[in-house]
Amino acid sequence: MGFLTESVEVDCGADGVPVAVHWRGRGYRVAQEPVRWYERRAWWAEDARLPADRGTGAVDQQMWRIQVQLTVRSELLTLELAHTLDTGRWRLLAATSPSGAQVVRCA
Amino acid sequence: MPTFAIDLISNTYSNTDVSFPHLHVATAFSAHYGVSRPAALAAAAAADGADALACTDRDGLYGAVKHLGACREHGLDPVLGADLLLYGPGSERALGRVLVLAAGGTAGAGYAALCRLVSAAHARGGPPGVDPGQIADHAGPAGPSGPVLTVLLGPASDVGQEFAARRYRAGRAALARWRSRLPAEALAVEVVSHLAAPGTAGSTSRAARMLRAALEAGLTPVLTNAVRYATPAEAATADVLDAARALTPLEALGAPGRPGVGGAADRRAPPAEPLQPNGQGWLKPARQMRSLAAEIARAADLGAAGAEALLAGTRQVADRCRLDPVADCGWGRPVVPEAAVLGLDRPAPVELRSRCETGLARRYPGRRAGPAVRSRLERELRVIEDLGFASYFLTVAEVSAMIGAMGVRHAARGSGVSSLVNYLLDVSQVDPLEHGLVFERFLSGDRSTLPDIDIDVESAQRLRVYRRILDRFGPERVSLMSMQNTYRARGAVRDAGLALGLDPGTVDAAAKQLWHLPASGLRETLARRPELRDFAEQVAREKQLDLLVDLTERLDRLPRHISMHPCGVILGDRTLLDRTPVQTGGAGMPMSQFDKHDMDPMGMLKLDILGVRMQSALAHAVEEVARVHPGRPRLDLEAVPVDDEATFELIRSTHTLGCFQIESPGQRELIGKMAPTSFGDLIVDISLFRPGPMHSDMVRPYLEHRHGWSRPLPVHPRLDPILAETHGVTVFHEQVLRILDTFTGCGLARADELRRRLGSERQLEVETFFRERARAQDYPLDVVDRVWAVLAAFGSFGFCKAHGAAFAVPTYQSAWLKTHHPEAFLAGLWEHDPGMYPKRLLVGEARRMGIPVLPVDVNRSDEHYRVERLEEDPGRLGVRLALTGIHGVSRAEVRRIVAGRPYASLADLRQRARPARRTLERLAAVGALDGLLHRSGGTASRADLVHALRARADRERPPRAAGAREVPGQLALDLGDLELRGLPAERPEPTVEEKVRTELDLLAVDVSAHLLDSWAPLLRELGVTPAERLLELRNRSEVLVAGVRVSTMTPPLRSGRRVVFVSLDDGTGAVDCAFFPDAQERTGRHLFGTRLLLVRGRTRRTGPRGISLSAERAWDLADPATPAAVRAPAR
Repeated sequence: MGFLTESVEVDCGADGVPVAVHWRGRGYRVAQEPVRWYERRAWWAEDARLPADRGTGAVDQQMWRIQVQLTVRSELLTLELAHTLDTGRWRLLAATSPSGAQVVRCA
Repeated sequence: MPTFAIDLISNTYSNTDVSFPHLHVATAFSAHYGVSRPAALAAAAAADGADALACTDRDGLYGAVKHLGACREHGLDPVLGADLLLYGPGSERALGRVLVLAAGGTAGAGYAALCRLVSAAHARGGPPGVDPGQIADHAGPAGPSGPVLTVLLGPASDVGQEFAARRYRAGRAALARWRSRLPAEALAVEVVSHLAAPGTAGSTSRAARMLRAALEAGLTPVLTNAVRYATPAEAATADVLDAARALTPLEALGAPGRPGVGGAADRRAPPAEPLQPNGQGWLKPARQMRSLAAEIARAADLGAAGAEALLAGTRQVADRCRLDPVADCGWGRPVVPEAAVLGLDRPAPVELRSRCETGLARRYPGRRAGPAVRSRLERELRVIEDLGFASYFLTVAEVSAMIGAMGVRHAARGSGVSSLVNYLLDVSQVDPLEHGLVFERFLSGDRSTLPDIDIDVESAQRLRVYRRILDRFGPERVSLMSMQNTYRARGAVRDAGLALGLDPGTVDAAAKQLWHLPASGLRETLARRPELRDFAEQVAREKQLDLLVDLTERLDRLPRHISMHPCGVILGDRTLLDRTPVQTGGAGMPMSQFDKHDMDPMGMLKLDILGVRMQSALAHAVEEVARVHPGRPRLDLEAVPVDDEATFELIRSTHTLGCFQIESPGQRELIGKMAPTSFGDLIVDISLFRPGPMHSDMVRPYLEHRHGWSRPLPVHPRLDPILAETHGVTVFHEQVLRILDTFTGCGLARADELRRRLGSERQLEVETFFRERARAQDYPLDVVDRVWAVLAAFGSFGFCKAHGAAFAVPTYQSAWLKTHHPEAFLAGLWEHDPGMYPKRLLVGEARRMGIPVLPVDVNRSDEHYRVERLEEDPGRLGVRLALTGIHGVSRAEVRRIVAGRPYASLADLRQRARPARRTLERLAAVGALDGLLHRSGGTASRADLVHALRARADRERPPRAAGAREVPGQLALDLGDLELRGLPAERPEPTVEEKVRTELDLLAVDVSAHLLDSWAPLLRELGVTPAERLLELRNRSEVLVAGVRVSTMTPPLRSGRRVVFVSLDDGTGAVDCAFFPDAQERTGRHLFGTRLLLVRGRTRRTGPRGISLSAERAWDLADPATPAAVRAPAR
């Protein structure tokens, strides 16, 4: 995962669960309960340093699959997002339309 | 959706209970697996409000005792278990892993069963593991209190693997099999979610399947987090450990679809496990564990009731497994062998007293046992009886007597020497009253832990002694102690480099430079040490090396593997194996999974029986004296007078190479300055040569007062006598105790407690106490001030005089032997190699003493270094080198050669000793066949013979006819007896230089000449001064010296700066060169690595007979560029 991902902005609720996504200048609301998991990073290839006092985030990145729509009546898009824990940065990995067509595939 | 009753689980869980008991936690003592130490885990759990915490190391209870201690400290109830490999019933196939926990409240039955199950896992052979039948056997029949073990079937178990693969029927069948072996209360299903990608290992969906399976089967579900580290930040360290365990780089191990790669075969591990899916295996706080339970229950369509069932099940199992360290594990209760096994027919205290009486008559014949001895004995016996340690002393006496009966040299060491009882029981050979040793330094009524009595034995007999103890007390009472080997820089760089997949050559080169460094602070070390400069520059250049340094620091001090402790023998009663798990240690002997830190807490009696090479060397020397002087009465080293003037003359000459404790450059310098004249001086010398005294300028005043250059200031008539033996300087703990006792009246036992606080952050308490009590005793203020100043100055650097006295015995004995039987002494040193120097340096010492070193000879040498009467002058003795010293010649070959001696011809040798062809060539090369060659009457040289034998060895083996077998000796036929005489003389005898090279290659000693001799022309040209001429020079003369490195040390020094001492041997003697920081800087990598050195420096007089060199710079003598560099004007 590297250069081809797109940055997105995500609003989260108090429990850290996304409620809204800002992508390409438009605001989407989260329509269904998202799915969240953690995936490892190949930190040995990506990081230059790994001091023992580095906090979180060396191994894990948080992954989200969320369904969003522009308005209540517009079609649902499925987004796959990666959330880097130590920088707080959100990146879009893929967006899929209801027909299954891939709108965007990064990385 | 199948129906099942969630209310089966007794619902004790309530939402007000906010803590969560982690029941699956590997500590750092799960080598190459766990990351955090028990103390860190317990602290984290306690901080989160937990009231119980488990330690479930892989394959054993390695961290268990530390866990018990940490839990006590943090007010947690400990739970103990082991994460074990599971074998199929009666099969060698591993099915997975299970977690087995000990049940608490069973009066120790649960913990005992766990210990024995773990021992059984290791007794199996192959990777340690158990089968379900073994688990059921150890869990015990469901008695009144139920089974004593609880098995958690988790994702790695046979059950978990079936459900993970969605083989529901097989999973249910596996559960039913467990259910048929164990009652339901002994079983639980472990539910783990590491929140991995849906559908993969560690995912919530798999955890949900396990939760449902548990409830369907009516078994308790238990939520764990399969913890490997306390905090998320340590997850990457676990990755590195995974790679090290699998011997596979992270890139390969982490690549999707490639689990189980790598060559783990040589670590006897089961197939390599894939890298953890993510970094979620940390000790999550209760809040997160509760939401995890909710998430899993939701995924299982079980809602809040499911989560509650899961948390309630966890708590229920935790409650069943809470251990009381004292009642369940025997915490703090000393256990010694039963009286019956010691053969006592009366109470131990009565027996001890009676044996001490016998000892009095033997040690103090006639009426020498005066009132002082009597009252001391009474005092000691009273303390021993009050503590209930009589049988402990009898046990040690029994072991000591047993070793003596084996004919093995042994000597007590350590503070146990302070005890008159030990002296009377023949455990110790030092009279504590004669040397003013204080019993309270060893044992007092205030100490309830078992005291240490250490026994040194001949190193070569150590395992035989251990086996004898095992036989005598029985395998149920004896186990060897283990030790945890932890990562230091070198190993850490290797494993971190492997994990990163760096080029092995680069990693190896880096690792070689990091000998004996801690891995923590490596970055800082690199910046500071001149000899690591090249590596530091490389790190700055290469990004991956930067990461390597970080990972190396992360691995620092993590346990890597356990091994047999060099001296600890655990002796218990017949319940020992209920209290410690054992596995097979070195030499096939049972080894406890507990280390020395675990002994006191677990009340385990540990004897330190240390193999000391010097004891073996002394034994060999005594043996050789007896062999060459068959007529004389046998030498008894214990009986030689300790005031032999010739021996002290030798010690004062500082020609003490080979002598115990006093052969190092620093020690030779010290004895040169001190000029010891008595055994007591040796005790002082040994006690002074330690980091504290050397750092704190104790030595200078001692020497000045000793030589009368200045006088100690009198302080007080009651202080001065205490310090008289050390000229007003506090050298011994014993003196500190007496001073404290004299001026405060606190008693010697209390004084020892106070002494331990000197130099610590609690010193102020001691000062307050001392001042108040001394003033209360009416000492004037200025006296109190001055006495306190004496204590504060050196009190914390003192040395236990009992240790010093114990060490001084072999020191004196070795010096005595070197004085009176130098040939036998050298033979002993070569045979057992006890010292710090390579064997070849002692060849130089033999040369200096005029003792011929006789070459290896097949007709004269045997398996041992032998003293031999010279053929040309039977009144003189030499030392014959052993056949065993030849590199590449096997023990079996040596034994055959020795058995067949003498040999009339080469053919005879070949026929009867059947050496390998290469062996024959090696024998010829070191001159072992010269005798045969000369006797043959031929004219061929050693070179001709080596050439002929090498040609033979190089030749292909002749093809054999099918079925025809080579008969030993057949080869000799084609050569016959005339072989050597018929050898064509074509080559000159090898030059001395060639002989030296061969000798160094094959014998590691240069006998024919000194290694440096061939450099003589260059050294002459450069004006290098030989070692023996240095004494003639003035102090601070600038000189060049050259030689072979024989030792490198960074000893304790007064300034605290690092000084590197390099000793060189140039054939005329040894030069000790001190490299201070500037010189280290200029010398760079040659400081540690280079063998042949040329050193420029200034002479430094260290005493009437001592001189050393303060180095400015060193070069590699073998580097062709060196002569020019040396000739260039110095900066």
